Amino acid sequence: MATYIPLLLLFLIAAIIAIAMFLLSTYIGPKNPTPEKMIPFECGSESTGGRFVKPSVKFYLTAILFVVFDLEAVLIYPWTIQFRSLGWVGLATMGSFIALLVVGLLYVWKKGALEWER
Amino acid sequence: MEALRTLFPASDFTLLAAILALPALGALVNGLFGKRLGKEGVRLMALAALGGSFLASVLTYLLLPAEGKLTWTAWRWISIQGRMGQSIPIDVAFSVDALSGTMMLVITGVGFLIHLYSSEYMKNDPGFHRFFAYLNLFCFAMLTLVMGDNLAMLFVGWEGVGLCSYLLIGFWYGEDKNAAAGKKAFIVNRIGDFGLLVAMALIVYYVGTLRFDGIQSGASSLLQNVKIWPIGNMSSGTLPGFLHFLLPEQPVTILAATAVGLMVFLGCAGKSAQIPLYIWLPDAMAGPTPVSALIHAATMVTAGVYLVARLSAVFVLSPAALAVVAVTGALTALLAATIGLFQNDLKKVLAYSTVSQLGYMFIGVGVGAFAAGFFHVFTHAFFKACLFLGAGSVIHAIHVRIHDTDRSQDMGNMGGLKAYMPITRWTYLIACFAIAGLPILGSGFWSKDEILWKAFTVDIMAVSAPGVSQWMWPSWLGRAIYWAGVTGAVFTSFYMFRSYFRTFHGEFRGWKIDPTWKDPGHGHGHDDHGHDDHHEEHGEITGPVPHESPLPMTIPLMVLAAFSIGAGFLVAEPIHVAPLAHKLEPVFALSSRAIRQREGTEGLLFPMMLPGIAAFLAGTVGAMVVYQNRRGEPERRFATMFPRLHRLIYDKWRIDELYDATVVGMVDALADIFTIADKWIVDGILAKFTAALVGFFGTVLRAFQTGRVQVYAAAMVLGLVGVGWFMVKPHADATVNDEALRRSGEVKLSAAPGLGYSYRWDTPGVSETTFAKTTEHTVKLDPGETKDVTLRVRNAWGSESSETFTLTRPAGGRRGATEPGALPAPQPPTLPTGTIPAERIPDLIQPKGLQ
Amino acid sequence: MNLDPFLAASPLLVVALGGCLLMVAEAFSKHGREENDSRSAGPSGDLALGTAITLITGAIFSAGIWFVGPDKLEGSRALEPYLILDRFSLFFSFVLCVGGALSALLAGGYLPEHKLDRGEFYPLLIFSTLGAMMLAAAGDLLSLFLGLETMSLGVYALAGFRRASPRSTEAALKYFLLGSFAAAILLYGGALIYGATGHTDLAGIRAAITSTAATEGAANPAVLLIGVALVIVGLAFKVSAVPFHMWTPDAYEGAPTPATTFMAVAVKSAAFATLLRVLVEAFGDPALTSWASGWPPLLAFMALLTMTVANLIAGRQESVKRMLAYSSIAHAGYVLVGLVATIKVGGDAQASIMFYLLAYTASTVGAFGALILCGSRGAEAVSYEDLSGLGRRHPAAAMAFSFFLLSLAGTPPTAGFFSKFYIIKAALGAEHYVLVVVLVLNSVLSAYYYLRVLVFMYMREPAPGAPLARPMRSGYVTTALVLSAVLVLVLGVFPSTYLEIVAQAALASR
Repeated sequence: MATYIPLLLLFLIAAIIAIAMFLLSTYIGPKNPTPEKMIPFECGSESTGGRFVKPSVKFYLTAILFVVFDLEAVLIYPWTIQFRSLGWVGLATMGSFIALLVVGLLYVWKKGALEWER
Repeated sequence: MEALRTLFPASDFTLLAAILALPALGALVNGLFGKRLGKEGVRLMALAALGGSFLASVLTYLLLPAEGKLTWTAWRWISIQGRMGQSIPIDVAFSVDALSGTMMLVITGVGFLIHLYSSEYMKNDPGFHRFFAYLNLFCFAMLTLVMGDNLAMLFVGWEGVGLCSYLLIGFWYGEDKNAAAGKKAFIVNRIGDFGLLVAMALIVYYVGTLRFDGIQSGASSLLQNVKIWPIGNMSSGTLPGFLHFLLPEQPVTILAATAVGLMVFLGCAGKSAQIPLYIWLPDAMAGPTPVSALIHAATMVTAGVYLVARLSAVFVLSPAALAVVAVTGALTALLAATIGLFQNDLKKVLAYSTVSQLGYMFIGVGVGAFAAGFFHVFTHAFFKACLFLGAGSVIHAIHVRIHDTDRSQDMGNMGGLKAYMPITRWTYLIACFAIAGLPILGSGFWSKDEILWKAFTVDIMAVSAPGVSQWMWPSWLGRAIYWAGVTGAVFTSFYMFRSYFRTFHGEFRGWKIDPTWKDPGHGHGHDDHGHDDHHEEHGEITGPVPHESPLPMTIPLMVLAAFSIGAGFLVAEPIHVAPLAHKLEPVFALSSRAIRQREGTEGLLFPMMLPGIAAFLAGTVGAMVVYQNRRGEPERRFATMFPRLHRLIYDKWRIDELYDATVVGMVDALADIFTIADKWIVDGILAKFTAALVGFFGTVLRAFQTGRVQVYAAAMVLGLVGVGWFMVKPHADATVNDEALRRSGEVKLSAAPGLGYSYRWDTPGVSETTFAKTTEHTVKLDPGETKDVTLRVRNAWGSESSETFTLTRPAGGRRGATEPGALPAPQPPTLPTGTIPAERIPDLIQPKGLQ
Repeated sequence: MNLDPFLAASPLLVVALGGCLLMVAEAFSKHGREENDSRSAGPSGDLALGTAITLITGAIFSAGIWFVGPDKLEGSRALEPYLILDRFSLFFSFVLCVGGALSALLAGGYLPEHKLDRGEFYPLLIFSTLGAMMLAAAGDLLSLFLGLETMSLGVYALAGFRRASPRSTEAALKYFLLGSFAAAILLYGGALIYGATGHTDLAGIRAAITSTAATEGAANPAVLLIGVALVIVGLAFKVSAVPFHMWTPDAYEGAPTPATTFMAVAVKSAAFATLLRVLVEAFGDPALTSWASGWPPLLAFMALLTMTVANLIAGRQESVKRMLAYSSIAHAGYVLVGLVATIKVGGDAQASIMFYLLAYTASTVGAFGALILCGSRGAEAVSYEDLSGLGRRHPAAAMAFSFFLLSLAGTPPTAGFFSKFYIIKAALGAEHYVLVVVLVLNSVLSAYYYLRVLVFMYMREPAPGAPLARPMRSGYVTTALVLSAVLVLVLGVFPSTYLEIVAQAALASR
C-alpha cells in the first residue's frame, strides 16, 4: 500500500497546481472589462453564427485514423527496444501486424477517406 | 444367391432401405414435380417406384433365412430412460421375417397392380399427380409399419397410413361428404391411437424395450398386476371424507398383459374397423375406388391383425384379452355381414364385407390361431382387391353416362353387364367364389375354414404367476364363435352373389342403350364430378353401349383373380399343401405353445368342414334363386312383409344413428354444458382473467420498454444491484445426511459452501464460539431424542445468517409400522386349475436359443 | 518450424484472411467508390457469396480439425490460455460460422432489395464472426474482452447499417451505449478478479478461488465476489437475460433483418459459449456453485424471469420482427435452464445446451429468413396483418415460415422439439423441477404467438385496402432457407446421433 502513496501525492499535487492556477488568475489578475474585450476573439475577424458549430465529420475520420496510427507507433516503440531478444518470431509478428494495418490503410485509401475534398 | 447373401448380411440388410426408399422417392418426386412431369412421367415414376420395390421385396423374401430375420438399423433415434434407470434405445430399424415379408409382398405386389389400375382409372383427374404422390406415400408408410423393428417405428408407419388414408378419403375434398368421411376416419382412428400409445407406454414401463424380439422374450414381465384404481396417492389420508366412497376395499388390479392386450386391441379396432370403431370404414368409400381397394381392403385395415399377430407373445399371456379379441371379431363378422345383405351401393356392400372379413381375421388371432388369422389377411388381400377393382371397373363403365357418385355406384343402375364386360364379370365371379369359400378352389375356403376350425378346437392355457389369477376360457366359447362364424359365412356368400347377380345378370338398368350415342362434349374424369347437371330419371336417358375397361385396368383384375384361386394352395393346411404356413411357423413358435387343441376334437377336421361348405351352398344358391331366377322378388316381398326390419338392416342397424344419439349426443350434450361453463366460468372468469392477467403483465412489462436508453441503463443497474445484493448477503443452508441415523444415531450435516464463508455449528450443550472453515458437522442422537442444530455463517463482509435444523431419531425398534419398505408379505400364489405354475413360464415363453 | 498451432487455429485464421481479402477486393472493385445508386447492380451478389464461402470454409476447417482431434495436434495448446482450441471451441466455431454464413446469404437477398447495397456489410459480418469465434475460444479474461469487443464493434455498425432510417440509427446508438456500459462492467469485474487473485486466465482464477474458499486470507473474498458478480452481469447482457435485455427488442427491430439474424444467432451463441466456459472453468468451484450462495440460484432466477417476461411481452407484439426478438430472449431463458443444470449433470447439460444452440441457430435463421422472404421493397412483412392470407397467395413462403416457427415452438419432428427435450431432460436429471415446470408452461405460452402467425397466414383474409406483404425472389435467401431447413430436419430426425457427437465437446469431458 505504501508504494502507492507517492503516486497519490503526485496526483494530488497535479490537481492542486491546475486548480490553483485557474483560481489564482481569476482572483489575483486585474479586471477592467470593456464591451470590446467581451467579444470572443477570433483572429481579428468578426465572429458569426451561434456558439456551437458542428464540426465536419471529416475531422472525426481524421482523428480516428490518427488514433489508429498513433497506437501503431505506441506498439512499435517498445518492440524496437526488445527487437533483438524477440528474434525472427518478433519480426514475423510485427510484420503481420503492419500488414494488417496496410490492408486497413489500403481500404481507407480506396474508399476515399484520405481525400479532404470530394 | 450366395453372392447376394454375402452382399446383404442378415444383420445389415440394406436392401430394405431400397424397398422403403423407392416409394418415398416416388412420393417426393410426384408431390414436388408432378405438375411439371406430366401424366406420363408421374405414371412412370409411380409404377417404377412400386415395381422396383416389389422386385426388391421378392428378392428379400427369397433370401429370408429359415429362422430369424433380416435386419437393417438405419440410425439411433433417441434413447429414453426405463424405470430401472436403464437406457432404452429407440432405433430407426427395420426387419423382415416371414410375417412381415409376406405383408411386404402383398403391399408392393397388390400395390403395384392397383397403381397400374389407377393410372387408367384416374386418367382424367386434375389431381393425378397428387393422387399418386399420396398413393406412393401410403405404400412407404405401410412398409414402414410392417417392416418396423420396434413399436415406435410401427407407430410412425401407423400414423403415416392414417394420414394418407385421411388425405385419400378426402381426395375430392370439394364435396363436404368426402371431407366429412375423412374427418370421421381421422377422429375414430385417434381413439384407437390413444390405446396404442398407452400400450406402448405400458410396454416400455414393464418390459423395458420396444423392440419386437425384446417384447417377445421379455413378455413374461407383463405377468404382474397393475393397480388401476385408486390412482396416484389417493388414499383415505389424502382424500376428503365425502369422497371416501371412491376408495375400494381392495385396490382394483388388472394383469399387465391384459391391459397391454386390450389397449393394443383398441388401437387395432380403430385401424381395422372392429366394433365399436368400425363406423368409419363404410364412409371411407368416399375415396376413389382404387384407394378403397388398396387401403381400405387389402393393406391398411389389416394392420390391426398384423399387430396382434406381431405381439402374439403378449396376447397369449392373457386369455381374457384374447377372448375380447375373438368375441369382438365374431360379433363384427356377424353384424357387418347382416348389414351387407340389403345394401344397394356396390361399394358399400364390399365395405361391409371387408369389415366382416376383418372380423374373421380377428377371430383367428383371437383364438390363438395367429397363422390362420394371418392367412386370411393374405387371401383376403387378393380377392377383396379384385372385387373392389371389379366394382371400380363397373363404376367406370356406368360413369360414362351417370356422373353422380352415389347413383353410379347404385346396383339399381347396373345389371346385365356380363354381356358387355366379360373380363370384369369373370374376374368378379372368381373373386366371389373365393370370398364365399368355394371348396378347394376358392382361397377363402382354406383360410376361413382354418380359422373356424381353430375356433372350434381352441383350448387356451392360462399362463400364471405368483399373485396373479387368470381368467379362463369357458369351454363353450370357442364353439359359439364357430357357429357365429358359420352363420356369417352364409350371409357372406349370399350378399356377395347378390351383388354379382344384380350387377352382371338380368337387364341393364342404367340407361337406354343407343349405339350411336355420342358424348355431348365433355371429357369427364370419373367420380370427380359429383354434381353436374344431369337430373334425368333412371332409364329415361339414353347412352352408349357399356364398354369393357381398357387393358391397364383389366390386367390387374386378371392377375388378382388368378391369385384369388392360387393363394389358397399356399395355405391349404388340411390337405397339407401349405408352404406359407411352414414359412410362418418359426414366427409363432413361441406363442403357439400356449395354445392347445381341445380334447376330443382330433378326428373332426373334415367333418367340421361340412357346415362351412353348407354355408357356401346355402348362401350362393339362395342368392341365385332370389336374384337370378326370381329377379329379386323375394327381397321386395321381405321388405313389404317386414318393412321395419328391412329398413333397420338397410340403415345399418342404425348404429350410426345410435352413436349420434348416444356417444356423439353425449359428447354434444357435454359440449353444450361445457359451452355454458366455458362461456360463464372459463371464458368469463378464467380466460378473461388469465388473458387479462397475461395481458396486464405484458402491458406493464412493456411499459418499461419505453425506448429511453436511460430507463434501460437503470434496469441494468437495478439488476446489477440485485446480483450484488445476493452476493453480499450471507446464506446459511446445509444438507442433512441421515443414512446412518437408524444404525448409530449419527447425522451428518454439510453446509452449502460459499466463497469467503466461515461456519459455526451450535448444538444444545456444546457451544462453539469461533467461526471456522469446516463445512461438515456430525451430530449423535439417542433413540427418541430430538435436537436443534443451528448453522451460523459469516461471509466476507462480516454479516451473519443462521438456519436451524431439527433432528429426530425415532424411538423403539428397528422397523416402525409407518416405515416405507414394510410391505405385507407376499401371499403364496394359488393357481387356478389348468394354469401353468410360474416355474414353467420361462420354458413356455422363452424360446430356445433366441438371441 | 512447427505448424500445428497454425493448423489448430486455422478456422480463425481462414476467416480473418478471407475477411481481409474480401474487404480489399470490395474496395478495389468497381463498386468500391461509387455512391449507392440504384442504376448499377450493387456489390452484394459477389460479396455475399464470398462471405458465405469464407465462413463455410471456416466451418469446414473446424469440422476437419474436430475429426482429426484437436488433442492430436501437438501445438494446439501453444496458444493457451489465450485461445483454448478444444472441441468446445471448435464446435462453437462451426456453429458461429454456419450462423454467419447463413446471415450473409440472407443479406445477399435483403440488401439489394431494400436499397442498402453497400459493401461494408460483409467485412463487418466476417470480423464480427471472427470476434465471436475468439470469444468462444477465449481462456483468459484479456482475450475474452478482446473477442467481445471485436464482435461487438462490428455488430454495432451492422445494427446502424440502415443509415437513413432513424430507427436503425437509434437502435445502433442504444445498443452501443448499453453495450459499452456492459463491457465496462465486465472489464471492471475482470479487473477486480485480477486484483484479488493476480490471474486473468480462467484456470488460474479457478485455482485461486479454490484456495480462497479453503483457507483464510489467500485472496480477498469480498473483492473476488464483487468481481464475479460483475463478470456474470456483463455476460448476461450479451445473452440478453432479463433484466439486462432491454436493448434487445429495439436493437433487433431497428437493425436490418440479416444483421438481426446475426445478432440473434452468432452473438448469442458466442456469449453463451463464453458464459459457459467462464462459469464452468473459472467459477466452477463448489464454493461458487452451491445452491445457497453461488451463481446457480442467480442464473436460475434470471432464467425464470427471462422466459416468463419475454414470452409475456412477445404475446403482446404487433410486429412480427419484434415478436421474434422477444422470442429470441425467451430462448436464451431456456438455455439458461440448461446452464443451471450444468452444475449437477455436467456433460449432459452442456451437450443439451450445445444441441440447443445449433438447433436454435438453424430455426432462427430460418424464421428471420422467411420473414425476409415474405417482404419485398416497400411491402415488408412487418405486422401480423401484413401476412394475412399469405398461405393462399404464396404457399411456398408461408410454408417455409410455418416450418421454422413450428421448430421454434418445439414441435416434433423438428430440431426445436429435441432441443427442448434434451434441456428438459438435463434439468430433470438435475432435479430442477420448478425450472422445468416454468419452461414447459412458457413453451405453451410461446406456442400462442408462434401459431398466431400461422393463423394469420392461413386463416385470415386481408382487410380490403390493407397493405400486403409481397414476397421477394432471391436465390440467396432461398438457399439459406433450404440449408437451415435441412439442418432443422436432420437434427430432428437424427437427434441422438448428433447429441452423441456434441457430447464430446462438453467441457467437463476434457
